[in-house]
Amino acid sequence: MIQSTLALGVEAVGCAAFDAGIKGAFGYPGTPSTEGFEAVELLIHGARDGRVAQWAANEKVAYDLALGLSYTGHRALVTMKHVGLNVAMDAFANSALTGVRGGLVLLVADDPGMHSSQNEQDSRRLAEFAWLPCLEPSTVQECYDFTFRAFELSEALQVPVMLRIVTRLAHCRAALTRRATQTPTSLGLAPEATIQDWVLIPSNARRRYVDLLDKQPRLMAETTPLNRLVPGTVRRGVALAGMGRAYFGQLLHENPGLSALPRLEIAAYPVDPALEQAFLGQVDEVLVFEEDYPVLEDRLGLRGTAAVRGRLDGTLPRTGELSPRLLKKALGLEPPTGKAAISLELPVRAPRFCDGCGHVDAYGAVQQALANVGAGDARVFGDIGCYTLAAQEPMAAIHAVVEMGASISMAVGAALAGQTPAVAVIGDSTFGHSGLPALLTAADAGVNVTVVILDNRVVGMTGQQPSQALDQVERMVRGMGIAEDQLQVLLPVPKQHEANVAAMEAALRHPGPSVVVFRRECIQSIRRGVLKEHDREEKARQEMACCGTEVRP
Amino acid sequence: MSESRIHGIVLSGVGGQGVLSLAQILLEALRRSGLHALQSEIHGMSQRGGSVHAQVCYSKVPLTSPILDEGGADLLIALEPLEALRYVSMLRMDGHLAVSEEPQMDMAGYPPLDDVYAALKAVRGAHLVDTEDLARRLNHRQAAGMALLGMASRFLPIEDGVWREVIAQRFEAKGARVTEKNLEAFEAGRGLIHDPVGA
Repeated sequence: MIQSTLALGVEAVGCAAFDAGIKGAFGYPGTPSTEGFEAVELLIHGARDGRVAQWAANEKVAYDLALGLSYTGHRALVTMKHVGLNVAMDAFANSALTGVRGGLVLLVADDPGMHSSQNEQDSRRLAEFAWLPCLEPSTVQECYDFTFRAFELSEALQVPVMLRIVTRLAHCRAALTRRATQTPTSLGLAPEATIQDWVLIPSNARRRYVDLLDKQPRLMAETTPLNRLVPGTVRRGVALAGMGRAYFGQLLHENPGLSALPRLEIAAYPVDPALEQAFLGQVDEVLVFEEDYPVLEDRLGLRGTAAVRGRLDGTLPRTGELSPRLLKKALGLEPPTGKAAISLELPVRAPRFCDGCGHVDAYGAVQQALANVGAGDARVFGDIGCYTLAAQEPMAAIHAVVEMGASISMAVGAALAGQTPAVAVIGDSTFGHSGLPALLTAADAGVNVTVVILDNRVVGMTGQQPSQALDQVERMVRGMGIAEDQLQVLLPVPKQHEANVAAMEAALRHPGPSVVVFRRECIQSIRRGVLKEHDREEKARQEMACCGTEVRP
Repeated sequence: MSESRIHGIVLSGVGGQGVLSLAQILLEALRRSGLHALQSEIHGMSQRGGSVHAQVCYSKVPLTSPILDEGGADLLIALEPLEALRYVSMLRMDGHLAVSEEPQMDMAGYPPLDDVYAALKAVRGAHLVDTEDLARRLNHRQAAGMALLGMASRFLPIEDGVWREVIAQRFEAKGARVTEKNLEAFEAGRGLIHDPVGA
């Protein structure tokens, strides 16, 4: 059935993966990638045809799940945000050597301008680093079509394929035409003769690395049809990729004169040097419009045949997102004259904790306890989630936020330097994502570190997805080697404030590692009833277990 | 409307006010009117009570850019007066604003309300509505969004029937009464603009 519907760019990737017959989708939530997984999850749950959609504990786990599924001959999609790929990098880089069996597509959503991220790293560089192809759509429909192409490419070349999108495209909603849905089929396990390809001991890995390098010309031959050289009539050209391609395309409608400029339109990497050469032969000056790092700009600049303008020479800002305005300025087009900006000073309306959020009560207890033990000026190591908002004034309760799971290890590092009490604040989902190994090391180091786990029972910030740590936090903490009497579970509500402060103080005073769990469900999750079903089932299960084991004398 | 240029609508408000769902209604209505349309939104931290804004671009020619240039928007729909002021410079000289007068003041440094209103009233093409009063009169607590959409509809190339269809579909799952109340709020807003210029 052919359908036309409205979809976000990131959702279009999820729809396409479903329609291209994937057997499984995996991911870890992270803006702006989250809705891609959610779109395919919705379709898979609706189809009830044996496909799977599974959130993973972190991006590396998600990637390995996809690789394992591919090993069995099925198609797999794995989704994450750009910094999530750092977590999955070990799996990603090495899967280039093993190759794939069933098609494996990695959707990675970059965040130029850092709308909700800690950096604006460019995933195209990581595809290049791993010697893997990367497709870069520029419209919602291309998100869909390129996903199909990526699966075909992955199976033809037997390598994972990256699909790179950016925030503006991920969260652009437009009409989408879908193709007929394919039923998942399996290529079956890899032939026995190729088993050693998957065993990356040095002798095999050396051979597979050569294989991967030998594959590069074929890889380029496959990506080249997606790239295009459009001749012009002047010696000044533009090189376009991603949103640069989208914005320029729009300007072209309004300024037909721009068609005089030769254009190099890039939608797939690696880029064939012959194509670059042909383009450079037509121009003396090039303007490069691409999101994030100066990838094309570097390549074209290195050849030294044309003056290359972009982020490196100041034609465009070195950081941040592209915009139609920036393109116009660089192209020397007159910007529209609109209404004057308001002269009144407009203070920023910063995001804040929801009214009644349990994190606020938890932070209140942590800050009071620190003051009570004479450490009111203590530096607290924070982590990634809604609770990161506590870094803002006036709360200013956390003093470092780096990456998922860093809070615990950084606090241990500080404690090892003699800076005590050392406090880490981490959410339940982030704890499951990367906090576990850090807590294992904390227990082993035996230093005075207090780990505060803010357990709101869901992945709050990205839209209350299920947390893999649900109902397991205490068991996880004990399992990492934290002594039973150094684990406390508290209810962060105003009524419990005094008791919570006292408990927190005891943890701070303990000379070894201790864990304080503040547990109260996210109020957004309560409002939406996200865990209602789960809690009802869990209660019924407990009642049943209770009756079954009841022994009367 | 123009044969070649991008037209655009900016929507703004505070997280939780329904900016994104208004944008989606607009997108669907424009699409059903046979136009090319795109919507851009930013999710993430902005939904925790921070400023939220979305853009809807529409055109007779195919669109690839989901964002507008400053000074390129025809219409601004704002669910909050301070959030309206932030985007006035996105409007063309002949652009219009449909703005709720109802402030959300739970933030640091909110300017004096009178200054906010005065700044808005000084903008040509500004149409302010006391949505709090309207909601009371209509006995419909969440009338603001639909009323603003009704005001905006006077400046948009969308037929009455299409609006009714799209709104009805949007609230279908919530029952006939909710749909009726929302259509009523839309009509009330529509009635507030008597003589649209440049529609």
